[in-house]
Amino acid sequence: MKKSQVSMEPLLRAVNLTKRFGGLVAVENVSFDVRPGEVIGLVGDNGAGKSTFIKMISGVYQPDDGEIYFDGKKVSFIDPRDARDLGIETIYQDLALAENLDVGSNIFLGREMKKRFISEKLSRIIISSAFALPLAALLAWLGLQFYKIPGLVLGLLFGLASGFVLGWLFGSVTQIVDRKTMMGESTKALKRLDIEIPSLTQQVRNLSGGQRQSVAIARSIYWNAKVMIMDEPTAALGVSEQRKVLSLVRTLADHGVPVIIISHNMQDVFAVADRIVILRRGRKVGEEVSAETTPDKIVSLMVGAETVHKMGVIPQALESNGGVAGA
Amino acid sequence: MTEMELSTTKAAKKTRAERLSTIRQIWPWFFLVLMVIVFAIISKTKNNVTFISYRSVQGILVYATQILLIGLAETIIIISGNGGVDLSVHYTLGIAAVISAFIMRAMYAANLPPALTIAAGFSGGILFTIIPGWVNGTLVAKVKVPPFISTLGMGYVMYGVALLISRGQAISDQPNYLGQIGNGNLLYYWPKHGFSWLKIPAAATQADLQHIIPLVPNVVAITLVVTILIWFILAKTQFGQHIYAIGGNIQASIRSGIPVASTLTRAYTLAAVLAGIAGVIWTSRFTSGASNAGEPTLLFAIAAVVIGGTSMFGGEGRVIGTVIGALIIATIQYGLVVLGQQPYWQYVTVGVVVIIAVIVDQLGRKMEHS
Repeated sequence: MKKSQVSMEPLLRAVNLTKRFGGLVAVENVSFDVRPGEVIGLVGDNGAGKSTFIKMISGVYQPDDGEIYFDGKKVSFIDPRDARDLGIETIYQDLALAENLDVGSNIFLGREMKKRFISEKLSRIIISSAFALPLAALLAWLGLQFYKIPGLVLGLLFGLASGFVLGWLFGSVTQIVDRKTMMGESTKALKRLDIEIPSLTQQVRNLSGGQRQSVAIARSIYWNAKVMIMDEPTAALGVSEQRKVLSLVRTLADHGVPVIIISHNMQDVFAVADRIVILRRGRKVGEEVSAETTPDKIVSLMVGAETVHKMGVIPQALESNGGVAGA
Repeated sequence: MTEMELSTTKAAKKTRAERLSTIRQIWPWFFLVLMVIVFAIISKTKNNVTFISYRSVQGILVYATQILLIGLAETIIIISGNGGVDLSVHYTLGIAAVISAFIMRAMYAANLPPALTIAAGFSGGILFTIIPGWVNGTLVAKVKVPPFISTLGMGYVMYGVALLISRGQAISDQPNYLGQIGNGNLLYYWPKHGFSWLKIPAAATQADLQHIIPLVPNVVAITLVVTILIWFILAKTQFGQHIYAIGGNIQASIRSGIPVASTLTRAYTLAAVLAGIAGVIWTSRFTSGASNAGEPTLLFAIAAVVIGGTSMFGGEGRVIGTVIGALIIATIQYGLVVLGQQPYWQYVTVGVVVIIAVIVDQLGRKMEHS
């Protein structure tokens, strides 16, 4: 399964990232490279700083210290949109899908394709003036009848103002959603990733958890994701669905899109990740090539080796328990 | 379960869900037909009146216009979800009626040309509603006041202002051509003489009047045009698509870059403008403007929306559903009048229909998603 051609130039580099919340240091000096085509498992106990770290590279939080390099250039994000514009896409557990809409509408959520015959700006101007000119003429004439010149000026102003408000209100009437093209593009996007969904016209609500995951992933890829961050993608999925999502993650990597996957599930991490980065109490305590390490070692790094020994917890027991470490 | 089996059950489930949702969308039509038949039988056997007639259809359509216009406003707001319901539209209707009547009374008294008086009165009434609509939208979208509260407050403000302008009384003394618009027809058919637009043919004498058939009441034509516009906006445009998306998942909408605040503000303004149109129609039908013009309509309109299958939780609903809901309520109102029953029965009947509608809707949904 793992046969990715990892090139040596990192696409995303985080250098000594630090984030503090008041007196609490959530993430301290964590560095991290992501190369094209690799899957990185980011593991750690609850409160280890995984989410905070991810939120810094996806633009939700601004680091207090440290730098982020994307494609060799230093970048800083004011908000998540900046990161997304560069191609750093994050899929959270809630997937950000509108369940009442169909698959195509979700892939194009907020970026709907439109039938092109007039731009929104132009249509606003036309509709505004279509309303504004007659209204202004009418009100100006009325103002003149009742209040002479001041009436004329006031009428003119009111007429123009209300015309422009009506333009704001109805200007978007010309922006027609092109459902047919959206459906076609969605079909292609799903096919490229070997995702099977019986009918693209049905509401996302009627899809299974794994299919929804796939829709969210396909959306990110369609919009040119260059790095994917996935937060617990297999939580709340059935076993066969989990397997499908994991193989989709591998497909992404094979297409050259690196994936950072946060997971509690050791089996998942070992099934897909090329490298595993372990955080503990805000610090990076290890970075292992998954082919050369064992779940036991990762777990002991996650909880701190000395703790394991002190408590007498046998790491194998953790693993055989469905591999859930640090619930 | 193999892959094949899994995908076939999925496909079966999908067709079943689709079939059920079709039933859910069609049942109000059957209900309407059933109701017409029941009214027809009762009125024939009991009062010996023919219920199914051209005149009844026209009467029902005219009854339905106000409920439908306010219902469309509620449809937009309820689809936008997140607790969205506009409790101010009936008072917005009232203030539009009062302001248009106020303008037209003044202009009529000043002997200004009829066309101008009508134009100024109508546009004045409708344009004014942009203010409460925009304030509602801003309160909901930017200040994040729950829609229930902000529209309730705005409604009372509008009611108060309308009372102040009208001094608590209906504003009458309207030009008589106003009534011709509100109660006239787009087209009249005089057998053997042909059609005439907008006016009863001048050659007709008093005795001819009963032979002239009025076709398409003006208010019905206006409402039809507005309904098609709203259907187009909700079903076809990007703005409509965004309203559904916001109603389905506002967080996802924000994250996907939908301009949520501006979309919601425009939705509330649009709803108020619809109420304004209903207001000036009211003024032209009754040739006066009253602050309580829309009073009974709000709950009937919400009932029409619910009967039409729009989900109160947002994200789902169609204009055609609201149309059928409004027709059902108008048929009940009109039918009771034809039967000579006390009109108060309409509240009992509409209440029962709404409850049936919600039960059918929920059963349908439960079966679809099981």
